[in-house]
Formats: sequence, C-alpha cells, structure tokens
Amino acid sequence: MKNEKFSYIDSYNNNKTINVDSKDLEFVQVDKKIHDVKFKSKPTTFAKDAFRRFCKNKSSVIGAIILGILVICAFVVPVAISDSPTNGASNTSMQHVDQQFLEPKIFDAGTGWWDGTKQYSHIAYDQVNQKPAGFKTNAIIENSTTIGDDEFINSYNAYAIGGYIRLASIVKTDTSAAESVLESNTFTYNLAQEYDLDIELDDQNSEDAFVNSEYRIYLSYLDDDSEEQIAVLKDYSSDYSAIHIDLEKTLLELLPSKTIYSNARVCVAIPNETDKQNQVFVKSCVISSTTLKNETSIARLKAISFSDANTMSGIGKTDATGKENVGFWSCTGYKYLFHATIKYCNFTYDTYEAVYGNREMSFGLIDIMKYQGYKYDSLSDSYYLDESLPVYLSYDVDVGIESFQSLRDDCPINSVLSQSKVSGMGVTVYTIKCNVCYYKYCGYSSMPKFIMGTDNVGKDLFKITFNGLKTSLLLGIATFVICFSFGLVWGSISGYFGGNVDIIMERFTDIISGMPWIVVMTLCILHLGSNFATFCLALCLTGWIGTSSRTRTQFYRFKRSEYILASRTLGASDMRLIFRHILPNAMGTIITGSVLMIPSVIFSEATISYLGLGLKNLDSLGVILSNNQQYLSSYSYLLLFPSAIIALIMISFNLFGNGLRDAFNPSLKGSD
Amino acid sequence: MGKYVVKRLLLALLTSIIILSITFILMKMLPFNKPVGTDASIYAYYTNQVNLGFVVDLSEENTALGEYLWKYVDPGKVTHIYYVKPIADQYFAWLRNIVTKWDWGTSTYVMPNVSAMYIIVTRIGVTISVNIVSVIISVPLGILLGIWAALKKNKITDHVISTLVMVFISVPSFVIISLLMLWLAYNTGWLPTQWPSVSAPTQTRVLGYIIPVLSLSFGSICGYCRFTRAELCEVMSSEYLLLARTKGLTRGQSIVRHALRNAMVPIFPSILSEFIGILGGSMILEQLYGIPGIGRLYITALNASDYNVVFVDMAVFTTISLLAGVLLDISYGFIDPRIRMGAKK
Repeated sequence: MKNEKFSYIDSYNNNKTINVDSKDLEFVQVDKKIHDVKFKSKPTTFAKDAFRRFCKNKSSVIGAIILGILVICAFVVPVAISDSPTNGASNTSMQHVDQQFLEPKIFDAGTGWWDGTKQYSHIAYDQVNQKPAGFKTNAIIENSTTIGDDEFINSYNAYAIGGYIRLASIVKTDTSAAESVLESNTFTYNLAQEYDLDIELDDQNSEDAFVNSEYRIYLSYLDDDSEEQIAVLKDYSSDYSAIHIDLEKTLLELLPSKTIYSNARVCVAIPNETDKQNQVFVKSCVISSTTLKNETSIARLKAISFSDANTMSGIGKTDATGKENVGFWSCTGYKYLFHATIKYCNFTYDTYEAVYGNREMSFGLIDIMKYQGYKYDSLSDSYYLDESLPVYLSYDVDVGIESFQSLRDDCPINSVLSQSKVSGMGVTVYTIKCNVCYYKYCGYSSMPKFIMGTDNVGKDLFKITFNGLKTSLLLGIATFVICFSFGLVWGSISGYFGGNVDIIMERFTDIISGMPWIVVMTLCILHLGSNFATFCLALCLTGWIGTSSRTRTQFYRFKRSEYILASRTLGASDMRLIFRHILPNAMGTIITGSVLMIPSVIFSEATISYLGLGLKNLDSLGVILSNNQQYLSSYSYLLLFPSAIIALIMISFNLFGNGLRDAFNPSLKGSD
Repeated sequence: MGKYVVKRLLLALLTSIIILSITFILMKMLPFNKPVGTDASIYAYYTNQVNLGFVVDLSEENTALGEYLWKYVDPGKVTHIYYVKPIADQYFAWLRNIVTKWDWGTSTYVMPNVSAMYIIVTRIGVTISVNIVSVIISVPLGILLGIWAALKKNKITDHVISTLVMVFISVPSFVIISLLMLWLAYNTGWLPTQWPSVSAPTQTRVLGYIIPVLSLSFGSICGYCRFTRAELCEVMSSEYLLLARTKGLTRGQSIVRHALRNAMVPIFPSILSEFIGILGGSMILEQLYGIPGIGRLYITALNASDYNVVFVDMAVFTTISLLAGVLLDISYGFIDPRIRMGAKK
C-alpha cells in the first residue's frame, strides 16, 4: 500500500490536504494470540463491597463506633470498677449506706456543672446556728447561700420565731360552753411569794370569717371542796396591748383571806356566739416571780408560760438548739399558730463533702492503737505492735491532746479535739474525740468521685448502669440467636414447600402474632416465674415471626429462579437446595432485617420491667429504671443517666442497622 | 369486596376465639385466685363462680376432687364446700356464658364482685379521650413535617427533621414521659404531676391532658413524618410527576394535585389502623401518670392476680389489634380502587 493524498476545498474556500499513510490502516492484533489477563486492580467480594458502602455512610459509622464503645463498656466497666476502696487505712468494713444519693461528679465542687453539688431552695434557715437547717456548714459551697426575707407561716416549724397564738371560738350550740378558753397548765400559787403575769395581745387581720373580739383574763382554781372557781383578773375588754398584772396583789384584793390557790390556771377567754366566730391573738403569756428562789418552782413557772408562740405550738418537738419545747397551753376552742416568722434560704450543697468531708468522731483507745500499728491477736486476746503495719499517727493518752501527731498523708485523723476518761470496776475507758477526714477513714486516698452519682443504697450508678446494659445486651443477643435460628428454619420450610404446608404454617404464625406480646409475656411470667430464661422464652415466642416471614418472602423470590431449576435437574435434594443454594443468597437481606431485633428486645425488656412486671432478680436497664422511678422529682439524675444510655444504644443500633441494610441491599437505600 | 370483608372479619373472629381460648386455658392452669374480704362477700363471690360454672358447690367433702377451696356454713346452716371444676368444664361453661349471657365473670380485687366487663367499660373512656386528642394533634403535624422534609430532600431542613425523627423514635416512651414530667411538672410546676381527679377544676383537667398527649404524640408524629417522607420522595421521583411539570404545571400545583394524592394512598390506611390501635392505650403512660384507663387497670389487676379483669382486658387488646389489621387491609381497597385485596390471580 502506498501513500495517498486527497485534497479538497472547504466551505471557506481554503485548500485542504489529507495524507493517508498505509501504516495507519494496518490491523493491530492480526495473528496475535490473545489470552485472559489478570486484573490489575484487586478483586472484591460481596462482603468487602458492602463494607465499603457501609463506610461511606458516615452516620452509620458513627452509630457503629458508639455502639462498639457501649458494648465494650458494658463488659469492662462492671469488672473494672470495684465496690469498695482499696486503700489500706480503712478501719471498718465499708458500707454503701453512707454514700447514698451522691450527685454525679466529674469536676471539682464549685465549678458549677456536674460537680457533685445539689441546689437546694426554700430550705428553712436556722437563725440560731446561722446555717440552713439540717445541713452541714462545711459542705455548703461558700457564698452560695442567699437568705430570703422574713416569711410568715401558720404552722409549727422548729426554725421559725415568734408569731401569735390565735384563739378562736367555736360556734355556740345549746350544749356548748359560754366561752372558748386558752389555759395554762396548773400551778399552785402561794401568795406569800410575788407573781407577775405578762400577757401580750395584738390586733391582727386574719383575712377570713373570724372576728376580733373582746376577751377576759381570769385565774381558775380549785377551792377546798375541789370545785372549780374563777377569779377574774381583767374583765372583758378589747384592749389589745401588753398587759401587766401583779398577780398576787390582784388576788389579794379579790379574796383577801385566801393565800393558797391550788391547781390554778391562767386563762384567756373569748365568748362563743351562735352567729359568728370570735378570735383573739396572744403573742406571749409569761408568769414570773422575782421572789421565788426554789429552782424547781422557777422551772415549773417557766413550763406554764409561753414567750414564743411558735415554740408553744411545737410542744413535744425539739427546737433549733435541740431542746424540747415546753409550756403547753390547752384550749377549749380552736388554737392555731398565726404568722410565725421564718427565713428561707437557697444554697448549693456539696453532697460529697457532706458525706466524705471532715467530721467529728469518737474513738476508743483500741481504734487509735490500730492506727499506731498494733494488731489484734486472737489467741492471747491482746494487741501487739506489728512492724509490718503502717504507723499513721503518734498519740499518747497519758499526755493528752497535745501529743497528737499525724505521720502520714493518708492518716484519717486530722486532730484530736478532746479526750475523756471513765474508770470503774478496774477498767479505764478512754473516749477520744477527733476531727476525722471521713474519706481517708473509709480507705479512699482522695475524695471519691462517682460520675453518675450513687443510688438509694449507695451503689455507683455508673457501674450498675453498665452492668444493666450488659444484662440487656445478653438478653437481646440470646433472643436474637434463638429467634433467628428458629425463624429461619420455619420460614425456609414454609416458603420452599409452599402450598398446603405454607397455608397451615401461616395460620399458625397468624395466631401467634395475633397474641399481644404483653399477654404472652405475662402468661409466661405467671406460669414460669420471673427470671432470665423465662424472659428470653417469652420474647422468643413471638419474636421469631419477623425473621420467618422475611425468610419466606426471600424463598418465594428465589425458588423459581433458573439456577435452582438447573440444580434440581442435576438431582439436588431439597435440603441441598435450601441450605446450599437459596439460603446463602437470601442471607444478607434476612440478617440485616433481623439485626434490629436486638434493640427492640432491649426496648421491650426495658418497657416491661419499667412497668414492674419483668425481671426482678437481675440488674437489667429496665429494672434499674423501674427501681429509680420513684426518685424522679428529688434525684432526677438516677433516671436521666440510665435513660440516656438506653436512648444512646437505641439510636446507635438503629443507625448501625440502617447502614447495614443499605450496604447489603443498595436498592433499598434512602427508604426508611 | 363485600364478600372479602365478611371473610376477613370471620377469619379475625376465628383467630381471636382461638387466641382467647388458649389464654383462657393457660390462665385457668394458674392457681385458683381466692378472694379476700368478709365471709359474706366471699360467699357472694363463690356463689357467682358456681353460677358461672367454674366452681362446684357440694354439701360434703369429696376427696376425689382434690383439695377444697373454701368451706362455709351459711346463715341458713347449710354447709358449702367449694371445689374447682376441671378446666374443660370451665372452658365450655365460660363459652356458654359469653355466648348466651355476655357474662365475663367478676373482679376479685380491683372492685370485688363487680362485673369485669363493667369495670373495663367504665375505664375505657379516659383511655380513648387521651388517645383521640393525641391523634388529632399528631396526624396533621406528622404529615406536614413529612411533606416539608420530602420537599426539602437532602437539604438542611430534611437532615434536621430526619435526625430528630430518628432520635425520638429511638428514645423509649417512658424516658420521654419521665422527662416531660420532670421538666413540665416537677421543676417548673406548670402542669399537674398526676392525672387530675374528676373533681378537679376544669382548667387543671385540661392542663392534665398536656403531658399524656405530648408523650403519645412524639412517637406517632415521628412515625407519620417518616412514612410520609418516604412515600412522597418515591412519588416525587416518578415519571408522571415529571410529565405534570412538562405540561406546564407549577411545582406547587404538581405536588398538591398529583404527588400528595398518590402519596396519601398508603398513609391514610395507616392512620385508620393507628386510630383503632391506640384504643389499647399506653400502659406505660397510664401507669406513670396515674391515668385510670384500661392499660393501668391491666397492670393493677395482674399484680393483684385479678384474673377475670386481666382476661377481659386481654380480650379487648387482642380484638383491637386484630380489628386494626382487618381495617388496614380493607381500607386499601376503598382508597385505591386498583388494589383488590384478596383477589385471585
């Protein structure tokens, strides 16, 4: 072939030439032998391809990672966290009771968030001790206390002050007395002594139907015939002010001859009326004597007086300083406390400091000796110095509190406050009062931290939550395995054979799936008792139906395909067709569809346990939640953390499951 | 169509009879639930049980029947010794009572000697009222959110809605209820912490609906939203919608007139079935919020072994779920005439 040249003139009148070389027209592969060549790129399998697709789905990967972390935690945390302190300074066997309801803590106290503190509001302020009533001063975060203004309350409170006793009359009937009376306890007045009666009344607006009325003050006493008599000290008046009555003078004027008034009561009385209810406000009523020297009589006088209405209405209870309230006045009408003043305060409380901070404790000599390295010998019933034991402190009982010296950092005792000694029967007992750092006393080297707090019996919520998660996961996986295996076999048979077999098996599934799962579960629990196996069984009874129907559909899809026909023509048995040909093809779809059974089992378990019908002796998440349910309003973290974990595991399982489904079955992508 | 409906209803009836029979037999295999109370009330209970055919009343001991349940000498000096009948006898007596007298037995604990059916009837009202309010709120809201998400597919709105839906579907309902109660009732004090009693003022009773309705709605709003989004997305990518646009309809017109109508076909039946399904009530919600409905009744009765009440309650739940299934299938045919349920090849 030779070179050829073509020339032509194009539409723009240009002369163009085309050269055709004979080389350009040669066949490239003529007479060559062509063989299969190996792919330069790496071959991929279905699983690898699916994994690649899965990794592209970012949310699913995140879900899988969170899921992985939670599962690892579930199996590691319950083993890794020990219940009791490991440090050696512990003198006692540690009980959880002390540390109940500690708030969750990660940061140091006072940082404001997740720091083991609890906000208290509207707590009565103890004005005597200058602290919120019933709380430890050292555990209150500095400068966090805000004290409110005075508030009025109408019922007794140990930390309230003052107020009035509101004496109200009853509605008069034919049989009722003429007056409603507020009366002191009895006292025998000997007019050789001098007595003063100070009663303070006030005009208050009670803002209800009661009307402020006239009152009178009298002394009721028993005469020689034990008949009750009265001596009017002040007749009816509406003079609401402080009244001073010279008791012995007034009485001598009334009955000059009588000098002993036995079983006498001071009474404030208001009339009962048929059409309205009267009232009078008594602020205080004090009977005193300047001449009385006998201490018993003075105490008795104090006991029949009241100077503080709040204290008087709290008879039988103790006041802010721990003393029992005295001075009871009885009443034939109605007696209320009115407008006692109280201060409330809001503050932040370090729950850890309250339990594990410094506190006063009393020790015997033996306890102190243990810290000095003495060991008890049960054979000789005596203590000896063991050189191998650490010596925490040095202390000499004979010298006293000055001799105390702390020798180690982890010495639980900060200082000795006082020491007392009681001898008797040849035995000397020392009581040594110390300021103790309680966490060191319990054997912790530093203040313990519970990142999820502790529950009502002082258990670490972090540990029991993940322990619960472990139980729930195990239950989920066990149920999944059983349901999956059974559902697979059932669905395969039903789908492969079809016809009458299918119809009968389908009706059976209909009946089982028609029974509400809660019914199945309750029947199982009622018959077999509440334990792990029963629970698993109850969940399995209805759980396999999903897998079975999924498998059945897949079998219908594949059983008429050509490769099955080919295999059957070659003489393959039913077993071989089911397990070697159809199942492997359908497996991806079936597994991904069924894997979401695990979270749904956890969900069901949590729900039924939360209702109180479920596992009672295992710590599943649902049981933990159900136990903590009652603390919703007071210690909400007990519910929040386990709930957060269960929500997290559900979300990550769903993300993971959806990603898995998309990866194995790209045609379903995007649909939910 | 009518034939198919009748067939399906009969089938559902048959299934429910089988389920109830199995449950009855299983429950009767449990130890006999002896009543508590005064002699007179116990006597009334046993007399009733004899009338129902579950227990036999003899005047002298018969060791062949096993251990007697209760021995009583009534005011007329007649001795009554009660024995349990064999389960088969009880079963037929029970069937006869239901078919002839509609008598489902009496309660032993919840309201002693009151007809169990009556107890259910008095309590189902509260359950229904709470659920209806929740459906009324959640259906439009769920569908609207779903439409919004589908229209803004793969944009930020869609991602936000889909994520929220994912989160709310994953969080168990009791967590949601607890949080709602904690924030709206305990911490802020806006709403009552418990279902208000009948005697409470109207305002409180209305406020009392908020937490139950919210907690029931979250789940169904998410469900509808997800379903609507999926359906609408599928319809939006179909050829006939493209055709509608090419013939000159605006996006809004094509969506409202074509896409939405077709997307509603599977959505509407699911609303219907949900409407029936919710009558069963939420046990968790009723238990936690103290709503005196049939869900809570079930748990109370179960914990107190008041089997007759449990049994009627179970019957209600089972019937409701079966009916929901039938209604779902039938409504397909009504909404989309092309679908012929139960048609042969």
